[in-house]
Amino acid sequence: MKSSWLLPNLGRLLALLAIQGLVLSDISYNTAGYVSILVYPLFILLLPILTPVPIAVIAGFVAGVLVDIFTGTLGLHASTGAFSGYARALILDRFAPQGGYTGKEVIASPAYFGWQWFLSVSSIFFAVHLLWYFSMAYFTPAYFFNKILPQAALSWVSTMPIVVILIWLFYPKN
Amino acid sequence: MYSLIQLFVRHGGLITLVVAQVISLYLMTSQNSPQQEIARLSWSWYSNWILEWRNRWLDYFSLRDENIRLKMENARLRTQLTNLRATELLIRDTLRRQSSSDSLGKKLTRPEYVIIAARVVGNTLSGRNNWLILNRGSEDGVQPHSGVISRSGVVGVVRKVSRHFSLAMSVLHPQTKISAVIRGYPYYGSLYWDEKDPRYLTLADIPYHLPIRRGDTVEVSNYSLLFPEGHVAGIVDTAYRLPGSAFLYIRVQPTQSPASIRDVYIVVNRYADELNELSKAAQEKQ
Repeated sequence: MKSSWLLPNLGRLLALLAIQGLVLSDISYNTAGYVSILVYPLFILLLPILTPVPIAVIAGFVAGVLVDIFTGTLGLHASTGAFSGYARALILDRFAPQGGYTGKEVIASPAYFGWQWFLSVSSIFFAVHLLWYFSMAYFTPAYFFNKILPQAALSWVSTMPIVVILIWLFYPKN
Repeated sequence: MYSLIQLFVRHGGLITLVVAQVISLYLMTSQNSPQQEIARLSWSWYSNWILEWRNRWLDYFSLRDENIRLKMENARLRTQLTNLRATELLIRDTLRRQSSSDSLGKKLTRPEYVIIAARVVGNTLSGRNNWLILNRGSEDGVQPHSGVISRSGVVGVVRKVSRHFSLAMSVLHPQTKISAVIRGYPYYGSLYWDEKDPRYLTLADIPYHLPIRRGDTVEVSNYSLLFPEGHVAGIVDTAYRLPGSAFLYIRVQPTQSPASIRDVYIVVNRYADELNELSKAAQEKQ
């Protein structure tokens, strides 16, 4: 991992936090929380591909805390971010190319792996993230089928196009 | 320390995740009211559930103690019931005599029996003289020459008492003789084992003219010093007149099988010694 990884990731974090806090949180408010478009998990997904799992968990946790400060839901996004940091490693491991990741592919971007690979990875990653998020938001399995699952599905359908647009626009390479 | 580092290298991601989740859960339940309320309700539900399970297990493990308590309670109630029977009769008697004696009632209504719950810890069946060992002794108030009954019949008579145990003659002992009657008839006889078939006892001295039938109930007579009056002892199996005799030979099937006795009651007659002395005196005078 090169030492130049910090700046792009920090920039990505701040930009995604700004979009999340200033623009997308309004959508959540306007739909009474029924649809939540969450793009900040892109920061977690686009961490350097060889980031050790504990660092990814901590990074996800920190990003979540920052979003929580914006949205006034302390602990909710922190839990989801940390979980996604861990899930990311499992998903990337499942989609690893033959011979594993070498470090030549800096981040999990379509610039290195192609759009098909990226869509598969990000679809699962965001589905997991949103499912955990709504599970924590309702905080009880009693609502799993009538609230958690439909809201997670609806939010996933709303989030994925934004994710694709952002990646298509910025096409990150590091 | 090395193994801790090894553990973190191997499961660092999972450990970090658990720590992060614990912090997040703390933040969520302390800062967000919906989660706080759900956590409070869930905690209450789970703690109630755990408490319920704990109580169920405790109940299960305390069944033995509960059983002992019930036996003691049963013994106490039997004592009351047995004494009440005597008391009722005596009160009736006293009322009738009230005009001639006014102080008799008090003396006659004294409780006659003390009943002690016990368990059979030893039982012989194969010999001529069969014995039972009971787990109650002098420390529990057991006295020699006390009757032993079970819920369903008569069991034997206590002969020797140690501090914690008692030795009782089984009904399958030729010296065990119980004063018994056939329910509904005023004649009493002696119920004993004739040392032949351990499944049956013999009721002797019942006059031949009584129309005794198979299935009639044999119970303890009011002349018994050892057993409470009216306690069931057996069922008539066969009854026939012995040739040249004025009495019936009655084969009785005991209602309490001597082979399967576990829980018993020792019936201590508080006035047994006094009554025996009077009986002896009466015999000497004859």
